[in-house]
Amino acid sequence: MDYSRVIGLDIQKEVLDLLDNVLSLKGRALVFGADTPLLGSIPELDSMAVVSVITAIEERFGVEIPDDEIDGAAFATVGSLVEFVQRISSC
Amino acid sequence: MRPRAQSFYLDAGGRSLHCVFYKAVGTAKKGAVLYVPPFAEELNKSRRMVALQARVLAEVGWSVLLLDLTGCGDSSGDFSEAGWNAWLDDIAQARTWLRDNCPGPLWLWGLRLGATLAGASLQRDPASDANLLLWQPVISARQHLQQFLRIRGAGERVANGGEGAGTDTLLDQLRAGRNVEVAGYDLPPGLALPMTEASLHIDGAAKRVFWIEISTRPESGLSPASRRFIEANPLPEGEARVVGGPAFWQTQEIEELPQLLAATTEVFCQ
Repeated sequence: MDYSRVIGLDIQKEVLDLLDNVLSLKGRALVFGADTPLLGSIPELDSMAVVSVITAIEERFGVEIPDDEIDGAAFATVGSLVEFVQRISSC
Repeated sequence: MRPRAQSFYLDAGGRSLHCVFYKAVGTAKKGAVLYVPPFAEELNKSRRMVALQARVLAEVGWSVLLLDLTGCGDSSGDFSEAGWNAWLDDIAQARTWLRDNCPGPLWLWGLRLGATLAGASLQRDPASDANLLLWQPVISARQHLQQFLRIRGAGERVANGGEGAGTDTLLDQLRAGRNVEVAGYDLPPGLALPMTEASLHIDGAAKRVFWIEISTRPESGLSPASRRFIEANPLPEGEARVVGGPAFWQTQEIEELPQLLAATTEVFCQ
């Protein structure tokens, strides 16, 4: 069994749950896939919401995200955000 | 009879503080509750939930005063006139008003940074019969400030593709005595700099301390940071618990949390 894929799926589920809560999407995020675009597609994702998402990631995954690690590329799609969280969590 | 909200202005050394008072209904008046609000946008987003709770507490015999701090809500001054010590003075003024108008034990009820301020108020201005109710307390005001400053930096960069000013740059600006604009708030050094030094203090100041955390996954228990704090600072005659619900002080939509209402009301009916 490819354990990294299993862990990746769990992180995606956590990230979608987090997005749904922080952005008050009322369950809409729970059916997003890795290819679902975020930045530019979700109007709720403004500068304040971005910071709320980052803070929530820090608190849920117990990581500290340095400011210079954060850029638009991480928020392009669900998949890129999950990769970002995986990378940060394994540091 | 449903408790009615009475709005009035309290004078605090020339500043005018907007207050909303829910007088306890019935003959058994148990005491007074002073609510200390959270920081910046969290104040606006949490108003509804706080008003609901205040009404319920008044129904069970507790008079509740909702305070707008200087520069916030409908109180006088704009945000650039806010300050940590000014806010502690505001709270002191409101406590005096309650002491004169509502006999009985006092609870300071703070949400987020309001909880930090409530603890600081009892440290600076001790009282003999005061208790603390902490909703999702901010343990480190420094971290809270940094998360706010991030809106200018990381937030801007991601959402709008702008350059954004780093948190360190903004702190340098504040230390040089200059205000910093973040998300429409004109943040002054008199507020920001004390925040970099402030943290939650509960030792010795309150008779009872109740800590209620809100989580969308209550089965996971208190957050690691909260657990660490409570291990180091045991709550006098109180408890800490987690209730299920969204982070209503920051969600996009205004939320109501029946579990939080129930858990809080229970504290006041003991």
